[in-house]
Amino acid sequence: MVREVPPALRLAAWVFTLAAAVFLLAPLVVVMGVSVSENQFIAFPPEGFTLRWYKAVLGDARYLSAAWVSLRLALIVTVLALVVGGAAAIALHRRTLPGSEVLATLFLSPLILPTIIFAIGMLMFWSAVFGPVGFATLVLGHLLVCLPYVVRTTLAVLAESDPFLEEAARTMGAGRLQRLWRVVLPQCRPGLAAGAFFAFNISFDEAVLSLFLRRPGLTTLPVQIYGQMEFSPDPSVAAVSSIMIFITVALLVVIDRVLGIRRFSTG
Amino acid sequence: MADLVLHDIRKSFGRTEVLHGVSTRIEAGSFVSLLGPSGCGKTTLLRIVAGLESVSAGRVEIAGEDVTARPPEARDIAMMFQSYALLPHLSVAGNVAFPLQMRRIGRPEERPGMVRAALDTVQLGALADRFPRQLSGGQQQRVALARALVSRPRVLLLDEPLSNLDARLREDMQVELIAIHERLKLTTVFVTHDQEEALSLSDRVILINDGKVEQEGTPKQIYDTPRTRFAADFLGASNVLAVTVRDDGHAELADGQALALAAPAPPGPAELAIRQEDVAILDDDDADGLAAEVAARVFLGARSRYVLRLAGQEVRALGPDRPGLRPGATVRLRLPPDRLRLLARP
Repeated sequence: MVREVPPALRLAAWVFTLAAAVFLLAPLVVVMGVSVSENQFIAFPPEGFTLRWYKAVLGDARYLSAAWVSLRLALIVTVLALVVGGAAAIALHRRTLPGSEVLATLFLSPLILPTIIFAIGMLMFWSAVFGPVGFATLVLGHLLVCLPYVVRTTLAVLAESDPFLEEAARTMGAGRLQRLWRVVLPQCRPGLAAGAFFAFNISFDEAVLSLFLRRPGLTTLPVQIYGQMEFSPDPSVAAVSSIMIFITVALLVVIDRVLGIRRFSTG
Repeated sequence: MADLVLHDIRKSFGRTEVLHGVSTRIEAGSFVSLLGPSGCGKTTLLRIVAGLESVSAGRVEIAGEDVTARPPEARDIAMMFQSYALLPHLSVAGNVAFPLQMRRIGRPEERPGMVRAALDTVQLGALADRFPRQLSGGQQQRVALARALVSRPRVLLLDEPLSNLDARLREDMQVELIAIHERLKLTTVFVTHDQEEALSLSDRVILINDGKVEQEGTPKQIYDTPRTRFAADFLGASNVLAVTVRDDGHAELADGQALALAAPAPPGPAELAIRQEDVAILDDDDADGLAAEVAARVFLGARSRYVLRLAGQEVRALGPDRPGLRPGATVRLRLPPDRLRLLARP
C-alpha cells in the first residue's frame, strides 16, 4: 500500500537526512582540509595548498612502523575473527551446543562491556599469567572486541536462509565437508563480508585497548596519532587521518568486489 | 523385484510413537503415493526412506541392500522438497549439476550434457543460466524436479511437490509427472494429502492413518472398495451408514427400513459405505425404494448434489439436476446392493 506522504513530513525527512549527512561528513571535510593547509598549526579553514604534511608523514619512521603494526594487526584479527566468528555463528545457528542462548549472549558481551574495563582486565590478567604484553596480546584483545560483529552479521544471514538446504544437499550425496564448503559457507558469505569489514575497521581504529596493551616499540597508528596530538599537534596528524580514511574507503570497495557487501546491506 | 522394502518401521519422537510398524514393498519402476491427512506420519516415513530421519525399530532396504544405518548421502535416492530447497548461490545448471558432482556420476565433461537433458525433460533448457531468485514458483519447482531426476536415482522421493502451486499449474504438472514417469520409469514415492492427486498419479496408493498403513492397493481398489470407515471418509465422495445386519441377510436402518446386501454378512451392528454417484434418486411414484427427505440441493453445473436425510443419517447423492426436489420434499432412494461396501468393524 502506497500512501501520499504529507509535504511537511517529507521536508522534515529531507532536513533530517541532510543534517545527519552534515554531522557525519563535516569532520572528515575539516580533517582533509587541514591536511593540505600551509599553516603550521591545526586551524580551519585551511590556508593555501600543500602536500608537505603527507610527505612528512610518509617519511616519518614512527608513523610508518605504527601503520605497519596496525595493518598487520587488523589483517590477522580479521582473518581470525572470520574463522572463529563464522564457526561460532554456524554452531549457534544450528543450536547443536547445549546452552546456545547463553553462548550467544556471551559472544555479544564485548559489545556491552566498556572497552576500558576490558582493557584493564586484559592487561592485569595477561601480566599475571603470561608476563609482558606483546603483539599476541593485541591480537587477542582486538579479536575479542571484533568477534561480536562477525557473529551477528553471519547469524543474521543464516536466519534468513532455507533450513532445508543442508538436508537437500545430503539427499544429493554431499558429505559433511562438501556441505560446509558448497552449501553453508556460500550462505554465510554476505554476512562474513560485512563482518570482515567491521572487524578490520574496528581493529584498525581501536585506540583504548592498544593504549593499554602497547609496549615500547609496539605502537598502533591510532595510538601514535593520539601521542602526536598531545605533544606536537601539527597538520601531519590530519594528513595521517586522511590516509586512514582513504584506506577505509578503498577497503570497502575491495570487500564489495570480492565478497559482495552490497547484497548484505540491501538484504 | 522390489526396489524399496520397508520392514516394520517404527519411529518415536521422545515418548510419542508416530509410526507404529509400517511394512510395504515398492516394486521397481512403480509410482506409489503415500496418502494421508497431515500429521499421519507420511512425511516422516519418506524422510526415513531418505535417511534424514533414523528409525526407532525396523529395516529399510533399497535395491535389496539394508540401508537402515546409512546416511542419505550413501543411499541411491533423490528427494524433491516441498520448499524446493534450491541452492540460491548456484545457477539453474549449477543446481542440477550438484548431485552429479557430489555423487561423482559421469565424467566431468559428460555432465553438462546430462544437465541439459534433465532440464529439457522439464522444458527449462532455456533458463539454465538464471538464478533461482529470478524464477517463478512453477519454474523453481521444475528445476527441483530436474535436479532430482538427473542422477537417475534408484528411488525418487517427492514430498508434496505440487502443494505450493496454484490449481492450473498443479494440473499441468500432474500431467507432466505422469509423462516423465512413463519415459524414465524411476521408482517413485510421492507424498500427498490430496486424494485426487494420489488416485490420478499413482500405480499404487498406500493410505496411512495415525502411523499405520490403513489400506494399500491400486487407485481403483482403494476408491471402489474402501475397507474401513477412515478409508471411505478420506477418499471422499462416500457415504457411511450405520445399520444392523439381520439374520435374514438384510441390513436394517434405525427407522426399520431394510436394504438388501449382495453377500451374506454376520448379524449385528455394521457400517456400509456407498459413493455419492451410486445413490440413485427414483421417480416419485416408485414405491420400491427407501424413503428419504431432501435437505439441500447444490447445483454443480453438469449435475447436482443432493443432501438427503435417510433414517436420521445424512446421505449425499450426485445426479442430474431436478428443480422439483426442494428441501423438505420426500423422495425414494435405491442403494444398489453391488455398490454397498461392508466396512471392517473398528
